[in-house]
Amino acid sequence: MNHPFIQALQQIYPAERLLTRDVQLLPYESDGLTAFQTKPGAVALPVDEDEIISTVRLCHQMEVPFVARGSGTSLSGGSLPIADGLIIGLNRMNRIKRIDPRGRIAVVEPGVINLHITHAVEPYGLYYAPDPSSQSICTIGGNIAFNSGGAHCLKYGMTSNHVLGMKVVLADGTVTQFGSESLDGVGIGPDLVGLFVGSEGLFGIALEITLRLMPAPQLYRTVLAAYDNLGRAGDAVSMVVASGLLPGAMEIMDRLSIKAAEAAVAAGYPPDAEALLIVELEGEALQVEAEFAQLQGVIEESGAFEVRVAQSEEERARIWKGRKSAFSAVGRLSPDFIVQDGVVPRSRLGEALQEIDAIKSKYGLDVANVFHAGDGNLHPLILYDGREAGALERAEALAGEILAMCVDLGGSITGEHGIGMEKRDYMPAMFSDQELEIMMALRRAIDPKEIANRGKMFPGVEAPALQQHGLHPLEKQGVISRE
Amino acid sequence: MNANVPASIGELQALVKAHDRIHVVGNGSKPALHHGAGDAALAGAGGFCGIIEYQPQEFTLTAGAGTPVSVIAAELKRHGQYLPFDPLLPNSSTIGGTVAANLSGARRYRYGGIRDFILGARVVDGLGRAFRVGGKVVKNAAGFDLSKFLVGSLGHYAIMTELTFKVFPEPPQHRALRLRYAALPDILDAVYYLNQNIYELDALEFAPADAGWSLLLCLAGFEDTLPSRILALQESLRADTAGLDGGEGDDVNAAWQPLAGLTGDYLVKVALAPKQIPGLDARVSHLKRRYSIGGNLAWVATDDLKMLDALLLEQGLRGLCIRGAASSPLLGMPLEVSLAARVKQVLDPMNKFV
Ligand SMILES: Cc1cc2nc3c(=O)[nH]c(=O)nc-3n(C[C@H](O)[C@H](O)[C@H](O)COP(=O)(O)OP(=O)(O)OC[C@H]3O[C@@H](n4cnc5c(N)ncnc54)[C@H](O)[C@@H]3O)c2cc1C
Repeated sequence: MNHPFIQALQQIYPAERLLTRDVQLLPYESDGLTAFQTKPGAVALPVDEDEIISTVRLCHQMEVPFVARGSGTSLSGGSLPIADGLIIGLNRMNRIKRIDPRGRIAVVEPGVINLHITHAVEPYGLYYAPDPSSQSICTIGGNIAFNSGGAHCLKYGMTSNHVLGMKVVLADGTVTQFGSESLDGVGIGPDLVGLFVGSEGLFGIALEITLRLMPAPQLYRTVLAAYDNLGRAGDAVSMVVASGLLPGAMEIMDRLSIKAAEAAVAAGYPPDAEALLIVELEGEALQVEAEFAQLQGVIEESGAFEVRVAQSEEERARIWKGRKSAFSAVGRLSPDFIVQDGVVPRSRLGEALQEIDAIKSKYGLDVANVFHAGDGNLHPLILYDGREAGALERAEALAGEILAMCVDLGGSITGEHGIGMEKRDYMPAMFSDQELEIMMALRRAIDPKEIANRGKMFPGVEAPALQQHGLHPLEKQGVISRE
Repeated sequence: MNANVPASIGELQALVKAHDRIHVVGNGSKPALHHGAGDAALAGAGGFCGIIEYQPQEFTLTAGAGTPVSVIAAELKRHGQYLPFDPLLPNSSTIGGTVAANLSGARRYRYGGIRDFILGARVVDGLGRAFRVGGKVVKNAAGFDLSKFLVGSLGHYAIMTELTFKVFPEPPQHRALRLRYAALPDILDAVYYLNQNIYELDALEFAPADAGWSLLLCLAGFEDTLPSRILALQESLRADTAGLDGGEGDDVNAAWQPLAGLTGDYLVKVALAPKQIPGLDARVSHLKRRYSIGGNLAWVATDDLKMLDALLLEQGLRGLCIRGAASSPLLGMPLEVSLAARVKQVLDPMNKFV
């Protein structure tokens, strides 16, 4: 890396927080999309806002590309380094600055772990709602970059719906602030919070975030229904929706993922099920009980061959454990895999699943399906053996066909994992040249030198070499699992 | 108002290209937003009228930006659904105007505001380009989310022609509860109490009433459980907060119409947090006012806009005037300029939209 830049960084950081040696850089070479690896020029570990601001200003001045990094769990290569660029690692920016239980807000630094917020506000009967299955490790900064979701986003939305205000440093070093502590957020004037959330680290770095908290549900009612075919489980989702119910979560697992989850965590799922549907109601006890009575009627009519209702918190946890571990469980069945993330209109779920079936037979690869059925968000998991010549390329091609199908059915190429490095080339399938040009112009208006997360989101930039797919190192250690 | 009403995107693009200054109007239901337009050409959204796509099963609805909110609400109602962000002026405004001014009613309290339910839009920008932002499905993380940016943008960046929203099933029944409190601090304590307890309120409003303050709550749900939920709520408010008297029986519509009785030349929306209310209220106690969505929004009616403007600035608050001949609808603290200016530079570099 160039010396004047490193020297300038040394003015900001003590040696132990400025990593430049190869061994120190190794852990930062990749993120949750392990297929890509790039060595950064240096890693800076700021501990306060001023350090971040000075660093961004320096990068802008000396035209050095940077990538903000939370916990590096991005599944789309969003936090992948730029060769010879700077990684700004935000894990030490992990203070919860203020909790106001009466106003139901928390003000946090970007490196705070998602689940830590809920832990901190639990004593007040509150929680932070968005629940990506990486929530025990991923950061609010990363969640903001991708507008991350989770199983429980049908009713109360994704990250964006829970951010009321923020202070950011734009890529050109401008520090600005928008939103407020009001539930109305920005309230008056264009919703800049909404624009910044989901910008994948291309606009700049979130320095301080005001989050909305919610009262913890008084009661959950969790139903597990087993079906003898996947289509029927999909139809059941439509029936639940048509009945006017609004569950907190609706998830489906197919046969392969059920088997894998069973083998991995013994969730006690019905062994001969072709598909499982999990529906969870949450909220005020009396209301949940009334909804539950209605839900039972719908599920009965939906042709499930077995229905279980969690009778205790332990049983509920067990149902979810199987679901939440499904992907890493499937991953254990196969040397390598690709997690996909696409969206189709809910009513076309059945069609989409049939189509995936047809595509996978064509490629001779296995695909396990686990998805947020309530909002049509598919997570097909493509299994392959990287040691077989051409297998990775076939898996990639299969993944591409699934994304194309999502767009054809009127959906999206990503519901929550973002475009990052991985899906840049699929952007033109969703957006016209003009729409892409306008987005790129906006990026340049904010970041004229295109230094923030250069090479992400937009097509046409050279990608680092593909290496291999597989479990995230933390999944291998059993620290996290994916949905 | 004599607006040009383009009938097609092509006509709208031509209009934008032909004029140096353009001001967008929906139905003109918030006249205060239009007084500063001066000599700008007026572009009406009325040509983009009607529901374009509605799939109840998908929880999504797409409509022309000039569609009256009432038309959308009626169609949703036929399928047992509603717009959870609760457009503020359901009888007089267009959906585009509601988005541009970010105006929600009392029921926004339950699930969120316009920003939480907008999924995508079609727009024509200041260069006359017609394009799409966001998506049409309930979940989409591709690209920058310019559709949320349009919320509250007052037509200063692009003209919306089509909007897509997430919609929800409407709860079958509603009940309202009204309780009297002696003073504002008691009401705020009740709000804080409710904030930390799981009462899934459809609306939570308060306003000064004859002798003290009145707290208005709404619950939504099933017929058979609503009475006991209302009762439990009432009892706990009596036991744990300083609620004096009152009870069920109010017409829910009263709770849902935050603007009722707010007479005065000017009507102003103020975005604030509940903890900022005491400071503001002490200075506007002579004015008609109401606190909406759990005290996160104030509606203040006044004859003296200058005074209110200065007061909001002093208190670090922002306001939007939606009624009265204001020279600018924006009051109090100036809006953010750094990030918004970049968007302006891209979408409307010639500063056409005013
Ligand atoms: C096992 C597993 C399960 C997962 N499950 C889910 C799931 O259920 N739902 C879901 O949505 N995602 C899921 N993900 C994806 C991932 O966890 C999320 O995208 C998460 O938000 C990333 O957070 P992070 O802290 O790891 O961010 P990183 O990967 O470090 O960074 C992600 C992006 O955020 C940017 N960024 C980081 N901090 C900031 C900041 N302060 N300001 C601006 N930009 C910033 C980075 O530049 C990068 O582009 C899963 C991932 C794994 C590995």
